[in-house]
Amino acid sequence: MAEVLIADDSEFMRNLLREILEENHTIVGEVENGVEAVEVFKEEKPDLVMMDIVMPIRDGIEATDEIKNTDPSANVIMCTSVGQEEKMKEAVKAGADGYITKPFQKPSVMEAIQDVVPS
Amino acid sequence: MKVYDGSQTEQATDSRPERIKVGIAEYEVTTETAELTTSGLGSCVGVALYHDPTNIAGLIHVMLPVADEMDDGKPAKFADTGTELLIDEMEAAGADAGELEAKIAGGSDMLDFSEGGSGIGDRNITQVRETLTAADIPIVGEDVGGDHGRSLRLETETGNLLVKSANREDQRL
Amino acid sequence: MKIDVQSLDTFNRLAHEGAQEATASMAQMTGIDATVDVTKISLIDRADIGEELGAGSFVGVEFGFEGALSGDTVLVFERGQTEEIVESMMPGASTDDSMGQSAVQEVGNIMMSGFIDGWAEHLGASIEHTPPGYIEGEGAEILPDGPETGEHDQLFVFRSEIGWEGESVNFFIYMLPEYEPMAELMAEYAETDADAIPIEKLAVFNQMTQQGTERAAENVQQMSGIETEAEVSQISFVPIEDVPRQFGEETFVGTAVEFTGAPSGFLLVLFDEQSAITVAEGLMPVEMDSDELTEQHKMAIEELGNIMTSGFVDGWANVLQQSVDHTPPRLVHDMGRAIIDPLAAQLGQHQQHAFVIDSKMKTDEVEFESEIHALPNEQELREALDELDVERADKTDADAGQIF
Repeated sequence: MAEVLIADDSEFMRNLLREILEENHTIVGEVENGVEAVEVFKEEKPDLVMMDIVMPIRDGIEATDEIKNTDPSANVIMCTSVGQEEKMKEAVKAGADGYITKPFQKPSVMEAIQDVVPS
Repeated sequence: MKVYDGSQTEQATDSRPERIKVGIAEYEVTTETAELTTSGLGSCVGVALYHDPTNIAGLIHVMLPVADEMDDGKPAKFADTGTELLIDEMEAAGADAGELEAKIAGGSDMLDFSEGGSGIGDRNITQVRETLTAADIPIVGEDVGGDHGRSLRLETETGNLLVKSANREDQRL
Repeated sequence: MKIDVQSLDTFNRLAHEGAQEATASMAQMTGIDATVDVTKISLIDRADIGEELGAGSFVGVEFGFEGALSGDTVLVFERGQTEEIVESMMPGASTDDSMGQSAVQEVGNIMMSGFIDGWAEHLGASIEHTPPGYIEGEGAEILPDGPETGEHDQLFVFRSEIGWEGESVNFFIYMLPEYEPMAELMAEYAETDADAIPIEKLAVFNQMTQQGTERAAENVQQMSGIETEAEVSQISFVPIEDVPRQFGEETFVGTAVEFTGAPSGFLLVLFDEQSAITVAEGLMPVEMDSDELTEQHKMAIEELGNIMTSGFVDGWANVLQQSVDHTPPRLVHDMGRAIIDPLAAQLGQHQQHAFVIDSKMKTDEVEFESEIHALPNEQELREALDELDVERADKTDADAGQIF
């Protein structure tokens, strides 16, 4: 049972992720942009952040970079529609621990989480 | 059998007034009883000019604010040169420029991705106002800005400008 | 072989003027006033030609031409409109099938002769054409198979849409020249090297776009369960003010983004209202069963648009080994023409013409259709095409598993 923060600007996607994650995990926050993601991360210290890339104000890669600088032990999985190799490399550089492309199937989300925060 | 000899044949008109479509970066001026229409104004602006004593009417659909640097020989594409052109054409058709009235619609800021400063819709409206003011033509009706599209119909008998939108009530200017 | 914006513009204008002349000769014969709404030159897969005719019933004329250019040209009227044309020429004739047919054939012949003559005159060479043949059929089937294509099975197609006052599109003129002679001719008309477009890469780009559309269609299917097929993908060239003209007043729902990278530009994902409701219902974990478009539907469409946008541009980024960023999607719900107009205007601040990439996907199961339209910055698209390594064109996929 991990504490998870969801960062995605789409309410539809946040709902979808919550439905999938709630079964086995605790959602400690839902935010809409990279700035809020960093703030809530610092307050809640979740075990895992599910991070979208394309978000207003601050994107998910920048937010991941800051979260990892604040706390190198943080776990961040990118959860994005972007399937570009260059972006994946940027995400690795920022310190992301996993990468899920939308649209996703429930098992692949569970598996990615299991890899990053084993229960 | 109708004989045609290459000369233009006039069709008998039905009761409905003739509809004349005005495309983007186009204008029409008419002295006849007609409806001038233009559709799908987003950030584009429709400028309607009307000369009440003679019922001469004109409508232009402009796309961008100023012609200067982009000048490509299409004056009707721009708010400044287009509005001037429409005024000239109204005069050429017999309207007294001193008696013209204007109605404007469009210039929405929907889908404007420009960062900082004002968007194209705003700048189009500002430019149309400036050009009309410079020509001493009053704006007697307007429906501008917002974040929705508009279609226009100018009735030459009355000078009424009907503004239609996808998700709003029609407006009559 | 390289073409440039100038040569594309020259030929686009030629086709447009030809269509105007044809329309004027029809007005002379019938008294029916019509205007040429838009003329575009498109590079398109042979199989996709005529897709815009939908399922309507058409009649018209077709003839082959040979000389400075070879190929086929076709004029088609919506069947319902021919009655008006025939009546205005020969009152009473529209009830007589063979008279009607002969009238259409004659109008078509006169209209298209003017069209071809205009080309011949401009090219300073003669173009012979065969006698006109009467054709009738449903949708794209009415069009001929088309002449020789290039190695990518694509053709340059010149297409004009002509409308009656107050009506939607009523007839179409197609000119389908053989690929090679057309490409050579356009290359001859290219003036400078500075803004040259490698013509073969344009075809490869088109195929990549087709893959992008297929990817987006897969995304729709995975998310909504609606089996969706990519139908068409083409790249067209038009004066910037003609970009919104290919859209009407019908209401669409969808998303718009600005993308930055190589190239930058705008991208729209659009659904007609019924399709939007259908697909949004499919996306919802819980059925809403609403006939109206609700806020929940819009939220779902917004995310679907986001995912389809990525599906569409990612392949391009991967082939070029660069990243293409896009803004969060903005939801739109408005008249089609009003949606695209601000995007065209934003590009129009820096360019007089535009390349428009149009894709369409649909399904036979339910009433569902979706369109993707991309408006790249002209100069950046040219640069990107220049850098495109044709050998890498199939490297559209990225595997996160190999990187993480």
